[in-house]
Amino acid sequence: MSCTLNDQKPDWKAYALDELDPVARRQAEIHAAACAECHEEIASLRLTLNALSNLREEEIPRRIAFVSDKVFEPRWWQGLLRPSFAASFSAAGLIAAAILVHGFIRPMAPVPAPIDTAVLQRQMEQQIEKQVAARVRGDVSQQINEAVTKAVAQTEQREEQKTAAVLAATEKRYTEQRRADFATAAANYDMLSKQLTKMYAVNTGVGVR
Amino acid sequence: MIFREVEDRDLIAQAGRGNVDAYNVLVSRWEKRVFNYLLRLVSNREDALDVSQEVFLKAYQNLPKLADPERFTAWLFRIAHNEAFSLLRRRRPESDLADVPRPSQSGNLLPIELSLAVESALRVLSEDQREAVLLKVYQGFKFDEMAEILGCPVSTVKSRLYTALDLLKSTLAPAVAGGRATFREGLRGES
Repeated sequence: MSCTLNDQKPDWKAYALDELDPVARRQAEIHAAACAECHEEIASLRLTLNALSNLREEEIPRRIAFVSDKVFEPRWWQGLLRPSFAASFSAAGLIAAAILVHGFIRPMAPVPAPIDTAVLQRQMEQQIEKQVAARVRGDVSQQINEAVTKAVAQTEQREEQKTAAVLAATEKRYTEQRRADFATAAANYDMLSKQLTKMYAVNTGVGVR
Repeated sequence: MIFREVEDRDLIAQAGRGNVDAYNVLVSRWEKRVFNYLLRLVSNREDALDVSQEVFLKAYQNLPKLADPERFTAWLFRIAHNEAFSLLRRRRPESDLADVPRPSQSGNLLPIELSLAVESALRVLSEDQREAVLLKVYQGFKFDEMAEILGCPVSTVKSRLYTALDLLKSTLAPAVAGGRATFREGLRGES
């Protein structure tokens, strides 16, 4: 006898797998009780599922290595990644980033070349030559300096003497000039005084004979 | 004194805060189920054990990211699924299902024989179909949980599972034929 519901048959697999809601389940059971085809289908599914349930559950051959085992202990840095450290890490990260950026922006110091003994020896020889030359140049320089100092001192002395002589001559000339000016002024005063007296006398008749 | 078993969600919360002992309890509770699921998927005990180890390690490392402890089981099996299929993809060129033995043709089997017949029948399925059966029949997940674990729609889950059941029904028919008549009588008796 075929099922009367045809395409609207209940989902028997969902029924057998316990995926139908209670109402749908009850309706399916009512239908199955009266439908040989659906009854057969459920029986077949249950047999299959029953057979599947015979599969032995295997014992685990050895325990899963627990996380307390040494190999699974959190690393020291994993502990630091916990939320309580997150803020500190963020700040430290920012500072580190700033230092790094600063380091990259600054001009790089020249990288020293690898040491080459031949080059080193040549550099040492050059250094020695420079020092010897400097020593020799130093003696000559000292003599030149002494001579120049002496010459400068003599020149300065001569200049001082000349300056002193010029000053003395100038002061002498200035003093004489002042004296001459005073004498001239005195003579002029006398002459003017006499002229005034004469003019007074002429005008007033006093002392005119 | 009332002894109350510690719930998984409490253990998960403690383990998420770095309590190793709590996680150890979780491992001991779930290792057998995860191992058996992986064993049926990868069909090799050593591989299943290695993958189980990886699964629990990854779960421990990612536990703080698990937002809803109620989803722990599906989440754990999602990790197991990913790890198993990662292994299967690596070794696929070497696999050869043609050599899988067919179930016995006898209708009256001892339990151990029936178990071996089921094991063989499961190997006939594709990996996707087999996994759907494992999650539903042996792990008892609901369709929506399976969809979450497998990362696919519920319709795909049902399609894989229903096809697998049809295949298993025909593959196991000879093995269960002996019990069919008895079973049918039993059903009639129930109704």
